[in-house]
Amino acid sequence: MLEFRNTDVHIGNVPILRGLNVKIAPSETVALIGRNGAGKTTTLRSVMGFTDVKGQILIGGEDITRMRASRRPGLGIGYAPEDRRLFSGFTVEENIRLPGEVAKLDPDTQAARLDKVYRVLPELREMADRPAGAVSGGQGKMVALGRALMLGTRLLMLDEPFQGLAPALAQRYGEALGRLREVDPEVTVIVTESNPALLKSFARRTLVIERGEIAEAEHQAA
Amino acid sequence: MNLSLILLAVFDGVSYAALVFMVAVGLTLIFGVLRILNVAHGSLYAIGAYLTASIGGAVVAAGYSPILAFPLMLIAAALVGVLLGAPIERLLLRRIYAKSEVLQLLVTFAVFMILEDVQRLVWGNQPYFESSALQLLGNIQVFGVYYTSYQLVLLPVVALLTLIGLRLFLRRTLTGKLITAVTEDREAARSIGIDADRVYLMTFVLGAALAGLGGALASPTTSVLPGIGAEMIVLSFAVVATAGLGRIEGAAVAALLIGLGRSAATYAMPELQVLVPYLIMLAVLLVRPEGLFGTPAARKI
Ligand SMILES: Nc1ncnc2c1ncn2[C@@H]1O[C@H](COP(=O)(O)OP(=O)(O)O)[C@@H](O)[C@H]1O
Ligand SMILES: [Mg+2]
Repeated sequence: MLEFRNTDVHIGNVPILRGLNVKIAPSETVALIGRNGAGKTTTLRSVMGFTDVKGQILIGGEDITRMRASRRPGLGIGYAPEDRRLFSGFTVEENIRLPGEVAKLDPDTQAARLDKVYRVLPELREMADRPAGAVSGGQGKMVALGRALMLGTRLLMLDEPFQGLAPALAQRYGEALGRLREVDPEVTVIVTESNPALLKSFARRTLVIERGEIAEAEHQAA
Repeated sequence: MNLSLILLAVFDGVSYAALVFMVAVGLTLIFGVLRILNVAHGSLYAIGAYLTASIGGAVVAAGYSPILAFPLMLIAAALVGVLLGAPIERLLLRRIYAKSEVLQLLVTFAVFMILEDVQRLVWGNQPYFESSALQLLGNIQVFGVYYTSYQLVLLPVVALLTLIGLRLFLRRTLTGKLITAVTEDREAARSIGIDADRVYLMTFVLGAALAGLGGALASPTTSVLPGIGAEMIVLSFAVVATAGLGRIEGAAVAALLIGLGRSAATYAMPELQVLVPYLIMLAVLLVRPEGLFGTPAARKI
Protein backbone atom coordinates (compact mmCIF):
# COMPACT_ATOMS: atom_id res chain seq x y z
CA MET A 1 0.00 0.00 0.00
CA LEU A 2 2.70 2.44 1.03
CA GLU A 3 6.30 2.05 0.01
CA PHE A 4 9.43 4.09 0.51
CA ARG A 5 12.22 3.30 -1.95
CA ASN A 6 15.61 4.75 -1.05
CA THR A 7 13.79 7.80 0.19
CA ASP A 8 15.70 10.78 1.54
CA VAL A 9 13.66 13.59 2.99
CA HIS A 10 14.88 17.16 3.32
CA ILE A 11 13.32 20.14 4.98
CA GLY A 12 14.75 23.23 3.36
CA ASN A 13 18.06 21.56 2.36
CA VAL A 14 18.49 19.93 5.77
CA PRO A 15 18.47 16.14 5.43
CA ILE A 16 16.07 14.73 8.03
CA LEU A 17 15.47 11.16 6.86
CA ARG A 18 17.96 8.94 5.10
CA GLY A 19 17.60 5.88 2.92
CA LEU A 20 14.13 4.76 3.93
CA ASN A 21 13.22 1.36 2.51
CA VAL A 22 9.89 0.34 3.95
CA LYS A 23 6.92 -1.51 2.52
CA ILE A 24 3.56 -1.51 4.25
CA ALA A 25 0.84 -3.83 3.03
CA PRO A 26 -2.88 -3.04 2.68
CA SER A 27 -4.90 -3.51 5.87
CA GLU A 28 -1.80 -3.45 8.05
CA THR A 29 -1.74 -1.48 11.28
CA VAL A 30 1.75 -0.20 11.86
CA ALA A 31 3.23 1.57 14.84
CA LEU A 32 5.99 4.02 14.03
CA ILE A 33 7.95 4.50 17.23
CA GLY A 34 10.65 7.02 17.89
CA ARG A 35 11.85 9.62 20.33
CA ASN A 36 11.02 13.28 19.99
CA GLY A 37 12.82 14.64 16.97
CA ALA A 38 13.48 11.20 15.52
CA GLY A 39 11.60 12.02 12.31
CA LYS A 40 8.12 10.52 12.74
CA THR A 41 6.24 13.64 11.75
CA THR A 42 8.61 14.26 8.86
CA THR A 43 7.96 10.74 7.57
CA LEU A 44 4.21 11.33 7.48
CA ARG A 45 4.57 14.83 6.03
CA SER A 46 6.70 13.45 3.22
CA VAL A 47 3.83 11.19 2.20
CA MET A 48 1.54 14.24 2.15
CA GLY A 49 3.97 16.07 -0.12
CA PHE A 50 5.04 18.75 2.35
CA THR A 51 8.77 18.07 2.13
CA ASP A 52 11.48 17.68 -0.48
CA VAL A 53 11.96 14.03 -1.29
CA LYS A 54 14.73 12.15 -3.08
CA GLY A 55 14.09 8.56 -4.05
CA GLN A 56 10.51 7.37 -4.34
CA ILE A 57 7.28 7.16 -2.40
CA LEU A 58 4.61 4.85 -3.79
CA ILE A 59 0.95 4.44 -2.94
CA GLY A 60 -0.61 1.23 -4.17
CA GLY A 61 2.26 0.85 -6.62
CA GLU A 62 1.84 4.34 -8.03
CA ASP A 63 4.83 6.67 -7.72
CA ILE A 64 3.51 9.82 -6.04
CA THR A 65 6.87 11.45 -5.37
CA ARG A 66 6.18 14.28 -7.80
CA MET A 67 2.43 14.50 -7.29
CA ARG A 68 1.07 17.82 -6.05
CA ALA A 69 0.30 17.79 -2.33
CA SER A 70 -3.27 18.90 -2.94
CA ARG A 71 -4.03 15.82 -5.07
CA ARG A 72 -2.76 13.26 -2.59
CA PRO A 73 -5.66 13.13 -0.10
CA GLY A 74 -7.89 12.36 -3.08
CA LEU A 75 -6.03 9.07 -3.50
CA GLY A 76 -7.65 7.96 -0.25
CA ILE A 77 -5.14 9.32 2.25
CA GLY A 78 -6.28 10.68 5.58
CA TYR A 79 -3.81 12.48 7.82
CA ALA A 80 -4.38 13.61 11.37
CA PRO A 81 -1.47 15.94 12.20
CA GLU A 82 0.32 16.03 15.50
CA ASP A 83 -1.75 18.65 17.28
CA ARG A 84 -5.42 18.60 16.50
CA ARG A 85 -5.16 21.38 13.92
CA LEU A 86 -8.95 21.71 13.58
CA PHE A 87 -10.59 24.68 11.89
CA SER A 88 -11.90 26.39 14.99
CA GLY A 89 -14.49 28.60 13.29
CA PHE A 90 -16.27 25.62 11.71
CA THR A 91 -18.45 23.21 13.61
CA VAL A 92 -17.27 19.72 14.41
CA GLU A 93 -19.33 18.28 11.56
CA GLU A 94 -18.15 20.93 9.11
CA ASN A 95 -14.58 19.97 9.97
CA ILE A 96 -15.35 16.34 9.22
CA ARG A 97 -17.21 17.10 5.99
CA LEU A 98 -14.77 19.61 4.53
CA PRO A 99 -12.29 17.10 3.05
CA GLY A 100 -15.16 15.43 1.19
CA GLU A 101 -16.34 18.76 -0.18
CA VAL A 102 -12.81 19.69 -1.22
CA ALA A 103 -12.43 16.37 -3.03
CA LYS A 104 -15.85 17.00 -4.67
CA LEU A 105 -17.17 13.59 -3.63
CA ASP A 106 -20.75 13.14 -4.79
CA PRO A 107 -23.37 13.78 -2.10
CA ASP A 108 -24.20 10.09 -1.59
CA THR A 109 -20.60 9.21 -0.99
CA GLN A 110 -20.24 12.16 1.36
CA ALA A 111 -23.25 11.03 3.35
CA ALA A 112 -21.99 7.45 3.47
CA ARG A 113 -18.57 8.57 4.65
CA LEU A 114 -20.05 10.80 7.32
CA ASP A 115 -22.13 7.86 8.46
CA LYS A 116 -19.00 5.75 8.67
CA VAL A 117 -17.26 8.41 10.75
CA TYR A 118 -20.15 8.41 13.22
CA ARG A 119 -20.14 4.63 13.41
CA VAL A 120 -16.44 4.67 14.31
CA LEU A 121 -16.79 7.71 16.58
CA PRO A 122 -20.40 7.76 17.86
CA GLU A 123 -19.57 10.35 20.51
CA LEU A 124 -19.01 12.96 17.80
CA ARG A 125 -22.71 12.96 16.97
CA GLU A 126 -23.63 14.86 20.13
CA MET A 127 -21.09 17.57 19.48
CA ALA A 128 -21.66 17.81 15.75
CA ASP A 129 -22.94 21.38 15.87
CA ARG A 130 -20.45 22.75 18.38
CA PRO A 131 -17.67 25.00 17.11
CA ALA A 132 -14.51 22.94 16.83
CA GLY A 133 -12.71 25.64 18.76
CA ALA A 134 -14.90 24.89 21.76
CA VAL A 135 -14.31 21.15 22.19
CA SER A 136 -11.78 19.83 24.68
CA GLY A 137 -8.33 18.69 23.65
CA GLY A 138 -9.23 15.02 23.85
CA GLN A 139 -12.47 15.42 21.95
CA GLY A 140 -10.54 17.42 19.39
CA LYS A 141 -8.35 14.39 18.74
CA MET A 142 -11.48 12.40 17.94
CA VAL A 143 -12.66 15.11 15.58
CA ALA A 144 -9.27 15.14 13.88
CA LEU A 145 -9.55 11.36 13.45
CA GLY A 146 -13.04 11.78 12.01
CA ARG A 147 -11.80 14.39 9.56
CA ALA A 148 -8.98 12.09 8.48
CA LEU A 149 -11.46 9.23 7.98
CA MET A 150 -13.43 11.28 5.46
CA LEU A 151 -10.86 10.69 2.74
CA GLY A 152 -8.64 8.11 4.41
CA THR A 153 -10.14 5.01 2.87
CA ARG A 154 -6.82 3.49 1.81
CA LEU A 155 -4.23 4.99 4.11
CA LEU A 156 -4.72 6.61 7.48
CA MET A 157 -1.80 8.37 9.13
CA LEU A 158 -2.23 9.43 12.76
CA ASP A 159 0.58 11.46 14.27
CA GLU A 160 0.92 10.84 18.02
CA PRO A 161 -2.82 10.72 18.64
CA PHE A 162 -2.31 9.52 22.23
CA GLN A 163 -0.05 12.43 23.13
CA GLY A 164 -1.64 14.31 26.02
CA LEU A 165 -4.79 12.15 26.17
CA ALA A 166 -6.08 11.25 29.62
CA PRO A 167 -6.03 7.45 30.12
CA ALA A 168 -9.82 7.15 29.81
CA LEU A 169 -9.82 9.07 26.54
CA ALA A 170 -6.82 7.15 25.24
CA GLN A 171 -8.80 4.01 25.90
CA ARG A 172 -11.78 5.35 23.93
CA TYR A 173 -9.51 6.41 21.09
CA GLY A 174 -8.05 2.90 20.97
CA GLU A 175 -11.55 1.43 20.92
CA ALA A 176 -12.45 3.70 18.02
CA LEU A 177 -9.50 2.37 16.07
CA GLY A 178 -10.77 -1.12 16.88
CA ARG A 179 -14.20 -0.24 15.45
CA LEU A 180 -12.51 1.21 12.39
CA ARG A 181 -10.90 -2.19 11.74
CA GLU A 182 -14.38 -3.76 11.73
CA VAL A 183 -16.01 -1.07 9.60
CA ASP A 184 -13.12 -0.76 7.19
CA PRO A 185 -10.87 -3.84 7.28
CA GLU A 186 -8.88 -2.83 4.20
CA VAL A 187 -7.48 0.49 5.28
CA THR A 188 -3.79 0.76 6.15
CA VAL A 189 -3.18 2.55 9.42
CA ILE A 190 0.06 4.14 10.58
CA VAL A 191 0.19 5.46 14.12
CA THR A 192 3.23 7.24 15.51
CA GLU A 193 4.11 7.29 19.17
CA SER A 194 7.09 7.91 21.38
CA ASN A 195 5.93 5.42 23.97
CA PRO A 196 5.78 1.92 22.39
CA ALA A 197 3.71 0.43 25.22
CA LEU A 198 0.67 2.46 24.19
CA LEU A 199 0.35 0.83 20.77
CA LYS A 200 1.09 -2.78 21.73
CA SER A 201 -2.57 -3.71 21.90
CA PHE A 202 -3.52 -3.06 18.32
CA ALA A 203 -0.45 -2.61 16.11
CA ARG A 204 0.77 -5.88 14.66
CA ARG A 205 3.94 -4.43 13.29
CA THR A 206 6.28 -1.94 14.85
CA LEU A 207 8.79 0.20 13.01
CA VAL A 208 11.41 2.07 14.96
CA ILE A 209 12.75 5.36 13.73
CA GLU A 210 16.04 6.62 15.06
CA ARG A 211 18.21 9.46 13.84
CA GLY A 212 16.42 9.60 10.53
CA GLU A 213 16.52 5.91 9.77
CA ILE A 214 13.67 3.43 10.01
CA ALA A 215 14.15 -0.19 11.04
CA GLU A 216 11.88 -3.12 11.78
CA ALA A 217 11.44 -3.64 15.52
CA GLU A 218 13.31 -6.69 16.68
CA HIS A 219 10.54 -8.04 18.82
CA GLN A 220 7.19 -8.08 17.12
CA ALA A 221 4.23 -7.45 19.36
CA ALA A 222 2.40 -10.63 20.22
CA MET B 1 -19.13 74.43 17.98
CA ASN B 2 -22.63 74.19 16.51
CA LEU B 3 -24.69 71.14 15.73
CA SER B 4 -24.51 71.36 11.97
CA LEU B 5 -20.71 71.42 12.10
CA ILE B 6 -20.73 68.33 14.27
CA LEU B 7 -23.12 66.62 11.87
CA LEU B 8 -20.91 67.53 8.94
CA ALA B 9 -17.91 66.09 10.72
CA VAL B 10 -19.79 62.86 11.43
CA PHE B 11 -20.97 62.58 7.82
CA ASP B 12 -17.47 63.22 6.48
CA GLY B 13 -16.13 60.63 8.86
CA VAL B 14 -18.68 57.97 7.98
CA SER B 15 -18.32 58.36 4.23
CA TYR B 16 -14.55 58.37 4.43
CA ALA B 17 -14.60 55.37 6.75
CA ALA B 18 -16.64 53.47 4.16
CA LEU B 19 -13.94 54.04 1.54
CA VAL B 20 -11.07 53.21 3.85
CA PHE B 21 -12.87 50.04 4.90
CA MET B 22 -13.16 48.83 1.30
CA VAL B 23 -9.40 49.06 0.94
CA ALA B 24 -8.47 47.88 4.43
CA VAL B 25 -10.70 44.81 4.30
CA GLY B 26 -8.94 43.56 1.17
CA LEU B 27 -5.60 44.21 2.79
CA THR B 28 -6.52 42.29 5.91
CA LEU B 29 -8.06 39.42 3.92
CA ILE B 30 -4.86 39.06 1.91
CA PHE B 31 -2.76 39.22 5.04
CA GLY B 32 -4.88 36.53 6.68
CA VAL B 33 -4.21 34.05 3.91
CA LEU B 34 -0.84 35.02 2.42
CA ARG B 35 0.72 36.48 5.59
CA ILE B 36 2.02 39.32 3.49
CA LEU B 37 1.39 43.01 4.09
CA ASN B 38 0.83 44.18 0.56
CA VAL B 39 2.07 47.75 0.17
CA ALA B 40 1.06 47.68 -3.50
CA HIS B 41 -2.54 47.55 -2.30
CA GLY B 42 -2.49 51.36 -2.32
CA SER B 43 -1.62 51.38 -6.02
CA LEU B 44 -4.50 49.06 -6.79
CA TYR B 45 -6.80 51.54 -5.08
CA ALA B 46 -5.33 54.42 -7.08
CA ILE B 47 -5.58 52.57 -10.38
CA GLY B 48 -9.22 51.71 -9.66
CA ALA B 49 -9.82 55.43 -9.17
CA TYR B 50 -7.89 56.45 -12.30
CA LEU B 51 -9.66 53.89 -14.47
CA THR B 52 -13.09 55.01 -13.30
CA ALA B 53 -12.39 58.74 -13.52
CA SER B 54 -10.69 58.66 -16.92
CA ILE B 55 -13.00 56.21 -18.67
CA GLY B 56 -16.04 57.69 -16.91
CA GLY B 57 -15.03 61.14 -18.07
CA ALA B 58 -14.64 59.94 -21.63
CA VAL B 59 -18.00 58.14 -21.53
CA VAL B 60 -19.82 61.20 -20.23
CA ALA B 61 -17.98 63.51 -22.65
CA ALA B 62 -19.10 61.29 -25.52
CA GLY B 63 -22.67 61.99 -24.48
CA TYR B 64 -23.57 58.71 -22.81
CA SER B 65 -25.62 58.59 -19.63
CA PRO B 66 -23.66 59.25 -16.42
CA ILE B 67 -25.47 56.29 -14.92
CA LEU B 68 -22.92 54.15 -16.74
CA ALA B 69 -20.45 55.30 -14.07
CA PHE B 70 -21.84 52.65 -11.72
CA PRO B 71 -21.31 49.56 -13.85
CA LEU B 72 -17.99 51.09 -14.84
CA MET B 73 -16.90 51.00 -11.19
CA LEU B 74 -17.52 47.27 -11.02
CA ILE B 75 -15.66 46.75 -14.28
CA ALA B 76 -12.72 48.79 -13.02
CA ALA B 77 -12.63 46.69 -9.84
CA ALA B 78 -12.69 43.46 -11.82
CA LEU B 79 -9.95 44.72 -14.13
CA VAL B 80 -7.74 45.62 -11.19
CA GLY B 81 -8.33 42.21 -9.61
CA VAL B 82 -7.74 40.14 -12.72
CA LEU B 83 -5.24 42.15 -14.77
CA LEU B 84 -3.10 43.38 -11.87
CA GLY B 85 -3.91 41.19 -8.86
CA ALA B 86 -3.55 37.84 -10.61
CA PRO B 87 -0.14 38.47 -12.21
CA ILE B 88 1.26 40.10 -9.06
CA GLU B 89 0.40 37.00 -7.03
CA ARG B 90 1.35 34.41 -9.61
CA LEU B 91 4.56 35.89 -10.92
CA LEU B 92 5.92 37.67 -7.89
CA LEU B 93 4.46 36.92 -4.49
CA ARG B 94 4.35 33.18 -5.14
CA ARG B 95 8.15 33.18 -5.20
CA ILE B 96 8.56 34.82 -1.82
CA TYR B 97 6.09 33.11 0.53
CA ALA B 98 8.91 31.21 2.22
CA LYS B 99 11.16 34.27 2.43
CA SER B 100 11.61 36.68 5.33
CA GLU B 101 8.99 39.28 6.11
CA VAL B 102 11.43 42.10 5.41
CA LEU B 103 12.03 40.82 1.90
CA GLN B 104 8.28 40.38 1.35
CA LEU B 105 7.66 43.96 2.42
CA LEU B 106 10.43 45.21 0.14
CA VAL B 107 9.03 43.32 -2.82
CA THR B 108 5.51 44.66 -2.40
CA PHE B 109 6.99 48.12 -1.85
CA ALA B 110 8.88 47.73 -5.14
CA VAL B 111 5.62 46.78 -6.86
CA PHE B 112 4.05 49.87 -5.34
CA MET B 113 6.84 52.10 -6.73
CA ILE B 114 6.59 50.51 -10.17
CA LEU B 115 2.83 50.97 -10.25
CA GLU B 116 3.21 54.61 -9.16
CA ASP B 117 5.37 55.20 -12.23
CA VAL B 118 2.95 53.29 -14.42
CA GLN B 119 0.19 55.63 -13.24
CA ARG B 120 2.23 58.69 -14.16
CA LEU B 121 3.02 57.19 -17.54
CA VAL B 122 -0.59 56.39 -18.34
CA TRP B 123 -2.44 59.25 -16.69
CA GLY B 124 0.22 61.95 -16.33
CA ASN B 125 0.44 64.38 -13.43
CA GLN B 126 -2.76 66.32 -13.96
CA PRO B 127 -5.72 65.55 -11.71
CA TYR B 128 -8.82 63.78 -12.99
CA PHE B 129 -12.16 64.78 -11.61
CA GLU B 130 -15.32 63.05 -12.73
CA SER B 131 -18.22 63.37 -10.31
CA SER B 132 -21.30 62.70 -12.41
CA ALA B 133 -22.10 59.60 -10.35
CA LEU B 134 -22.16 61.74 -7.24
CA GLN B 135 -24.26 64.48 -8.83
CA LEU B 136 -26.68 61.95 -10.25
CA LEU B 137 -27.81 60.87 -6.77
CA GLY B 138 -28.32 64.42 -5.51
CA ASN B 139 -28.34 65.64 -1.92
CA ILE B 140 -30.25 64.64 1.15
CA GLN B 141 -31.09 66.79 4.12
CA VAL B 142 -30.50 65.52 7.65
CA PHE B 143 -31.38 67.84 10.57
CA GLY B 144 -31.02 70.81 8.32
CA VAL B 145 -27.65 69.76 6.93
CA TYR B 146 -27.33 68.98 3.24
CA TYR B 147 -25.00 66.21 2.22
CA THR B 148 -24.56 64.15 -0.96
CA SER B 149 -26.57 60.92 -1.00
CA TYR B 150 -23.64 59.28 -2.73
CA GLN B 151 -21.37 59.80 0.26
CA LEU B 152 -23.87 59.57 3.06
CA VAL B 153 -26.00 56.66 1.80
CA LEU B 154 -24.41 54.82 -1.11
CA LEU B 155 -20.86 54.51 0.25
CA PRO B 156 -21.85 53.27 3.73
CA VAL B 157 -24.41 50.89 2.23
CA VAL B 158 -21.85 49.45 -0.18
CA ALA B 159 -19.35 49.06 2.65
CA LEU B 160 -21.93 47.35 4.84
CA LEU B 161 -23.00 45.03 2.02
CA THR B 162 -19.35 44.22 1.40
CA LEU B 163 -18.88 43.34 5.05
CA ILE B 164 -21.99 41.15 5.18
CA GLY B 165 -21.35 39.63 1.77
CA LEU B 166 -17.77 38.80 2.63
CA ARG B 167 -18.81 37.18 5.88
CA LEU B 168 -21.48 35.08 4.16
CA PHE B 169 -19.07 34.21 1.36
CA LEU B 170 -16.41 33.04 3.79
CA ARG B 171 -18.89 31.14 5.92
CA ARG B 172 -21.25 29.60 3.38
CA THR B 173 -19.54 29.00 0.05
CA LEU B 174 -16.99 26.29 -0.57
CA THR B 175 -14.45 28.80 -1.91
CA GLY B 176 -14.99 30.92 1.18
CA LYS B 177 -14.52 27.91 3.44
CA LEU B 178 -11.27 27.09 1.68
CA ILE B 179 -10.05 30.65 2.28
CA THR B 180 -11.08 30.45 5.93
CA ALA B 181 -9.36 27.10 6.35
CA VAL B 182 -6.10 28.27 4.77
CA THR B 183 -6.22 31.43 6.88
CA GLU B 184 -6.45 29.43 10.05
CA ASP B 185 -3.94 26.69 9.30
CA ARG B 186 -2.14 26.40 5.99
CA GLU B 187 -0.77 22.92 6.53
CA ALA B 188 -3.94 21.47 8.01
CA ALA B 189 -5.75 22.84 4.96
CA ARG B 190 -3.27 21.26 2.58
CA SER B 191 -3.51 17.97 4.42
CA ILE B 192 -7.19 17.67 3.55
CA GLY B 193 -6.48 18.33 -0.10
CA ILE B 194 -6.99 22.08 -0.33
CA ASP B 195 -4.93 23.55 -3.14
CA ALA B 196 -3.32 26.38 -1.19
CA ASP B 197 -1.83 27.94 -4.35
CA ARG B 198 -5.27 28.38 -5.85
CA VAL B 199 -6.64 29.80 -2.61
CA TYR B 200 -3.79 32.33 -2.49
CA LEU B 201 -4.55 33.42 -6.03
CA MET B 202 -8.30 33.73 -5.46
CA THR B 203 -7.78 35.64 -2.23
CA PHE B 204 -5.34 38.05 -3.77
CA VAL B 205 -7.57 38.69 -6.78
CA LEU B 206 -10.53 39.27 -4.47
CA GLY B 207 -8.56 41.59 -2.20
CA ALA B 208 -7.15 43.50 -5.17
CA ALA B 209 -10.61 43.89 -6.67
CA LEU B 210 -11.86 45.30 -3.36
CA ALA B 211 -9.04 47.85 -3.41
CA GLY B 212 -9.93 48.70 -7.00
CA LEU B 213 -13.58 49.05 -6.06
CA GLY B 214 -12.60 51.33 -3.18
CA GLY B 215 -10.73 53.55 -5.63
CA ALA B 216 -13.57 53.46 -8.12
CA LEU B 217 -16.06 54.48 -5.43
CA ALA B 218 -13.76 57.20 -4.16
CA SER B 219 -13.17 58.76 -7.58
CA PRO B 220 -16.37 60.87 -7.78
CA THR B 221 -15.64 62.36 -4.35
CA THR B 222 -12.12 63.59 -4.93
CA SER B 223 -9.54 64.63 -7.49
CA VAL B 224 -7.62 61.63 -8.69
CA LEU B 225 -3.95 62.58 -8.75
CA PRO B 226 -0.53 61.12 -7.95
CA GLY B 227 -0.09 60.27 -4.29
CA ILE B 228 -3.61 59.11 -3.45
CA GLY B 229 -2.41 55.50 -3.36
CA ALA B 230 0.29 56.28 -0.82
CA GLU B 231 -2.13 58.17 1.41
CA MET B 232 -4.65 55.34 1.29
CA ILE B 233 -2.23 52.51 1.98
CA VAL B 234 -0.86 54.25 5.06
CA LEU B 235 -4.37 54.84 6.38
CA SER B 236 -5.35 51.25 5.62
CA PHE B 237 -2.34 49.98 7.51
CA ALA B 238 -3.45 52.06 10.47
CA VAL B 239 -6.95 50.58 10.23
CA VAL B 240 -5.72 47.00 9.88
CA ALA B 241 -3.26 47.34 12.74
CA THR B 242 -5.86 48.99 14.96
CA ALA B 243 -8.37 46.25 14.20
CA GLY B 244 -5.97 43.35 14.59
CA LEU B 245 -4.39 41.75 11.53
CA GLY B 246 -6.77 39.55 9.58
CA ARG B 247 -9.93 40.81 11.30
CA ILE B 248 -12.77 41.68 8.93
CA GLU B 249 -15.41 43.03 11.32
CA GLY B 250 -12.61 44.68 13.25
CA ALA B 251 -11.54 46.52 10.11
CA ALA B 252 -15.04 48.00 9.84
CA VAL B 253 -15.00 49.25 13.43
CA ALA B 254 -11.46 50.57 13.17
CA ALA B 255 -12.24 52.30 9.86
CA LEU B 256 -15.17 54.04 11.49
CA LEU B 257 -13.08 55.03 14.50
CA ILE B 258 -10.28 56.39 12.38
CA GLY B 259 -12.60 58.01 9.83
CA LEU B 260 -14.52 59.83 12.56
CA GLY B 261 -11.37 60.79 14.41
CA ARG B 262 -9.84 62.16 11.25
CA SER B 263 -12.85 64.27 10.31
CA ALA B 264 -13.30 65.53 13.88
CA ALA B 265 -9.72 66.75 13.71
CA THR B 266 -10.39 68.38 10.33
CA TYR B 267 -13.02 70.59 11.92
CA ALA B 268 -11.57 71.06 15.39
CA MET B 269 -7.79 71.01 14.87
CA PRO B 270 -7.05 70.94 11.15
CA GLU B 271 -3.30 70.91 11.72
CA LEU B 272 -3.67 67.49 13.37
CA GLN B 273 -5.83 65.91 10.67
CA VAL B 274 -3.00 63.90 9.14
CA LEU B 275 -1.77 62.77 12.52
CA VAL B 276 -4.99 61.72 14.23
CA PRO B 277 -5.41 58.28 12.58
CA TYR B 278 -1.95 57.28 13.79
CA LEU B 279 -2.55 58.68 17.25
CA ILE B 280 -5.67 56.51 17.45
CA MET B 281 -3.69 53.53 16.22
CA LEU B 282 -0.93 54.20 18.73
CA ALA B 283 -3.35 54.61 21.59
CA VAL B 284 -5.03 51.31 20.74
CA LEU B 285 -1.80 49.39 20.20
CA LEU B 286 -0.32 50.67 23.47
CA VAL B 287 -3.25 49.18 25.36
CA ARG B 288 -3.78 46.15 23.11
CA PRO B 289 -0.70 45.34 21.04
CA GLU B 290 -2.66 42.70 19.12
CA GLY B 291 -5.25 45.27 18.04
CA LEU B 292 -8.85 45.80 19.09
CA PHE B 293 -10.08 42.43 17.84
CA GLY B 294 -6.87 40.47 17.50
CA THR B 295 -5.94 37.53 19.65
CA PRO B 296 -2.35 37.50 20.88
CA ALA B 297 -1.47 34.01 19.66
CA ALA B 298 -3.51 33.32 16.56
CA ARG B 299 -4.30 35.96 13.98
CA LYS B 300 -7.07 34.96 11.69
CA ILE B 301 -10.03 36.12 9.71
N1 LIG C 1 10.52 22.74 9.64
C1 LIG C 1 11.67 22.20 10.06
N2 LIG C 1 12.84 22.83 9.83
C2 LIG C 1 14.01 22.33 10.25
N3 LIG C 1 14.12 21.17 10.90
C3 LIG C 1 13.02 20.48 11.14
C4 LIG C 1 11.73 20.96 10.73
N4 LIG C 1 10.80 20.07 11.12
C5 LIG C 1 11.47 19.09 11.73
N5 LIG C 1 12.81 19.33 11.76
C6 LIG C 1 13.84 18.47 12.36
O1 LIG C 1 13.67 17.19 11.86
C7 LIG C 1 13.89 16.23 12.87
C8 LIG C 1 12.70 15.31 12.95
O2 LIG C 1 11.56 16.05 13.39
P1 LIG C 1 10.12 15.38 13.48
O3 LIG C 1 9.88 14.66 12.22
O4 LIG C 1 9.19 16.43 13.89
O5 LIG C 1 10.35 14.34 14.65
P2 LIG C 1 9.25 13.62 15.55
O6 LIG C 1 7.92 13.80 14.92
O7 LIG C 1 9.71 12.21 15.57
O8 LIG C 1 9.33 14.25 16.89
C9 LIG C 1 14.15 17.01 14.14
O9 LIG C 1 15.55 17.04 14.36
C10 LIG C 1 13.65 18.38 13.84
O10 LIG C 1 14.42 19.34 14.52
MG1 LIG D 1 6.29 14.61 15.67
